[in-house]
Amino acid sequence: MINKIFNRLTNTPLYRGVQKNVRRFEQSALDLLPDATFNKPKTVQLIGDIGRDISSAENRLILGVTALMTQPFIDAKNKNVDEKTRKVSVCRTIAKILAGTFTGYFIRKGCIKAIKAWSKIPAQGVPKYKTLFTPKGARSTDTEAFKQYQNAMGTVIALVVMLFSNFLIDAPLTKWLTNIFVDQSGGDK
Amino acid sequence: MAPLSAILRNINKTAASNWSNFKVHMLKNYGENPGKMLVHTGTLGWILSSLAQVGAVVFNDKISPEQKTFLIPQEIADAAINILSFYLLTNSLKKFGAKLVSTGKLRTKRIRNFLERNELMGNVGKLNFDITEQDNFKPLTDHYKSFKNGVDVVTSTIGSIISCNILTPILRNQYASKRQKKAIANMQQHNMNNIQHPRGISIADYQKMAAIKFSNKSTGLKI
Repeated sequence: MINKIFNRLTNTPLYRGVQKNVRRFEQSALDLLPDATFNKPKTVQLIGDIGRDISSAENRLILGVTALMTQPFIDAKNKNVDEKTRKVSVCRTIAKILAGTFTGYFIRKGCIKAIKAWSKIPAQGVPKYKTLFTPKGARSTDTEAFKQYQNAMGTVIALVVMLFSNFLIDAPLTKWLTNIFVDQSGGDK
Repeated sequence: MAPLSAILRNINKTAASNWSNFKVHMLKNYGENPGKMLVHTGTLGWILSSLAQVGAVVFNDKISPEQKTFLIPQEIADAAINILSFYLLTNSLKKFGAKLVSTGKLRTKRIRNFLERNELMGNVGKLNFDITEQDNFKPLTDHYKSFKNGVDVVTSTIGSIISCNILTPILRNQYASKRQKKAIANMQQHNMNNIQHPRGISIADYQKMAAIKFSNKSTGLKI
């Protein structure tokens, strides 16, 4: 049923027209860029390591650090609001980034670690709870795909945990930090 | 009627089967595609954290109602723009990065050697060319996957930095300040309509006086 609807939609002249233009745009973008070859083995190794080792936790940390370098300045330059609101807005943005990065990083990291401990390959002497997250048919935990699976599953579990921690930790921490920053910057005046 | 134990056994069996399928689905979908996982879980993460952030402003009694008229729409705009721009920009950049690698535009020395050896350099950068579909590509698979995964993660990280840390704050501030102006104008209109005029002058005269007073005195917020 869904496939039929999808097929009918993708066969409309409008869809085909849009798709043609998107492809034309993609081709133009590809043509614009020069070819690039990474010759140094160290650079290739580094790119491979990034793909292997940067999990959602590290990604969240990178986002948090770069957010601190941009967002408060964007809020501080917002001339559409008065100085008082701007000040609270900057304080809140900093508080939000700090609280979000702190909980986001540690919860993701913790959950990925837990999944790694509970996704062992079933064998003699391995308790059943340690295979709770092991997918059917997995033969080794040392493959690249399995490590990425552990990262993905850890992140999904972290998101479930964050359903609660967002309300229990993030929101009160943001509120507490905002109030501290507002007081430190001379109060709500 | 089936006994309770049989029903429970059935529920247990279904749950176990769903859980097993979910794990296999996760392994198949994200096991070889860390960039895709970052985009999908990132989008879900933004949805959940935005909900909490809106709640944090609503229930913070240290933020004045006037500031809340700015901060609440700011949070809602932040959420909508964040989620949309995160998904659209990050996903597009990730896909474009993947295209750069699969068409051979962005390559390692080993991939370049492969392209030259097989006289494929003329096809590099063409949208319908996919290096993985070439006949003798197999020995290069692991090297290619490792490189492509790295590029995927780099492009999705760059996409998320641009969308969440540059594009979103600019767009949400513009949207929220428009909403704030409108909300404050409504609040003032409401105050004007409910004004108690002193005896001896008409309500129209009193509203004129009040309007002059409002336009001369700063309310603390630019309208």
